Amino acid sequence: MASGHSTALPPQDALPLELDLARLIVSALSLEVEPASIAPEAPLFGEGLGLDSIDALELALAISKTFGVQLRSDDERNHQIFASLRSLAAHIEKHRTR
Amino acid sequence: MPPDAGNVGIRLTERPASDVICHRQAGPVTVGALLAHAAAVAAVLPGEGPAVNACADRYLALVGFVAALMRGHATLLGAGRRGTPAFWDMAAARHAGAYALTDTVLPATSLPAIRLDEIAEPGAVAAPVPPPAIPPEQIVAIAYTSGSTGTPTAHAKTWGAVVTCAEAAAERFGFRAGDGPASAIVATVPPQHMYGFETTMMLPLRASVGVHAGESFFPSDVLGALAAVPPRRVLVTTPLHLRALLADGRRPPDLSAVISATAPLAREMAQTVERGWDAPMLEIYGATEAGSLASRRTVQEESWLPYRGVQVRPDVAAVPGLGEVPLADRVETDATGRFLLLGRQADVVKLGGKRASLADLTQTLAAVDGVVDGIFVAPDDIETNPAARLVAYVVAPGRSAEEILGALRRRIDPVFLPRRVAMLDALPRDALGKVPRQALAMAEGRQPGKHDPA
Repeated sequence: MASGHSTALPPQDALPLELDLARLIVSALSLEVEPASIAPEAPLFGEGLGLDSIDALELALAISKTFGVQLRSDDERNHQIFASLRSLAAHIEKHRTR
Repeated sequence: MPPDAGNVGIRLTERPASDVICHRQAGPVTVGALLAHAAAVAAVLPGEGPAVNACADRYLALVGFVAALMRGHATLLGAGRRGTPAFWDMAAARHAGAYALTDTVLPATSLPAIRLDEIAEPGAVAAPVPPPAIPPEQIVAIAYTSGSTGTPTAHAKTWGAVVTCAEAAAERFGFRAGDGPASAIVATVPPQHMYGFETTMMLPLRASVGVHAGESFFPSDVLGALAAVPPRRVLVTTPLHLRALLADGRRPPDLSAVISATAPLAREMAQTVERGWDAPMLEIYGATEAGSLASRRTVQEESWLPYRGVQVRPDVAAVPGLGEVPLADRVETDATGRFLLLGRQADVVKLGGKRASLADLTQTLAAVDGVVDGIFVAPDDIETNPAARLVAYVVAPGRSAEEILGALRRRIDPVFLPRRVAMLDALPRDALGKVPRQALAMAEGRQPGKHDPA
């Protein structure tokens, strides 16, 4: 599934936390993709993985339970945080309590 | 509404200028301040309208709605949270004078956009602006249902209809000026959705309600917003958000009521809310076409009590100002006028507050290049699981599930995209051409390579 034409790094370059997060996304949202196949820099919402606002709620819940990180809409960097697996993982790394 | 209102008009609001209508981060905003701000915005709006109000900030959304009303412009609803370029382009194509009202940078669109957050707010010394009188027959909102075939359908709302509905809701939930102290609403539904429009735009104008201005979506947002407003706090939400809040586990500040709509709430969830949060859990039944129609207290009653003036009969509701509106749900009425919901018309699904027909979705699937046969199916738990998603079974030799999904993504609303696309060699159609659910599951099990645990 790795695409040669995208600017995203190949999946095998995912960091350990990114892979943990990819597994969490796949299980929380019952996605039918291999966690390792989610390109770290591909968009999570809209194009790319194609998530939407229903998924955002589920995902926020799973992230709060697993990492102790509370996501908020009024975070000014919200768009950036949810942009990709990589940016979301970076946000979690910075704020995780477990 | 007064009997001779036809020529007189119904004032935008009957609330005193000193009443609090909105709770912003910077502090409460009075009706008078809102009117002065809206008048300043109205002065710079383009000539014609309608307005596509894409503001996420509920205060600015309300300012934009009132400003548009001051200019006689209708507001288009149905854009979804913050709107989408596809909706704006549709608005531009259908309404020559359409413009967008926003509080952030919009992606490229053919609509002229006005940034409400960049228009200076008049200070406290601004001259008082009287609330305009609006003819009850004037169309003030046009609600678009997404339509799974990609063709949105317009439902015009007159001022008389939306005022009557807001006042019926205020009466039902105790939001009238004489019902006690003012209420503060925190809502998780966007003002661009019919339910959000009614509860966070019309109720503050017509009842003793102040609305929290910020975005409330994630549990932390909702809890923060509730802590920021004074009692009597009312949470206006959906089963989906309630499920997330309950799973989050933190107890909200004291609530005087929780109101849910968009899909029936499971009784267990209602019980958990009432016990855990010590507040009545109320539900509204409504639809974009008809607006809010009825309510119930879920733990006490299964049947719905129509709003004042509303009559619900099998397949149809008679609504003041709108006439007869077809219902997407099957209902059973009793002698007192209350009714039971018997489930959706078999073909209709509702996800994320939006409705679609499985037949329409299936037709859209059939039109995808390379698709020989296919069907959209709702999972068994669609009525009970707020996060349930659709499945598509597709016969398309040489095409992959990703390709089919990619093609559908350009044609249907994201919430209706199949969470699973099962590629089959053939659909197990019976002698009548129908596709039995059990046969589908069996056919999928027979496909090579399916359900292999990688």
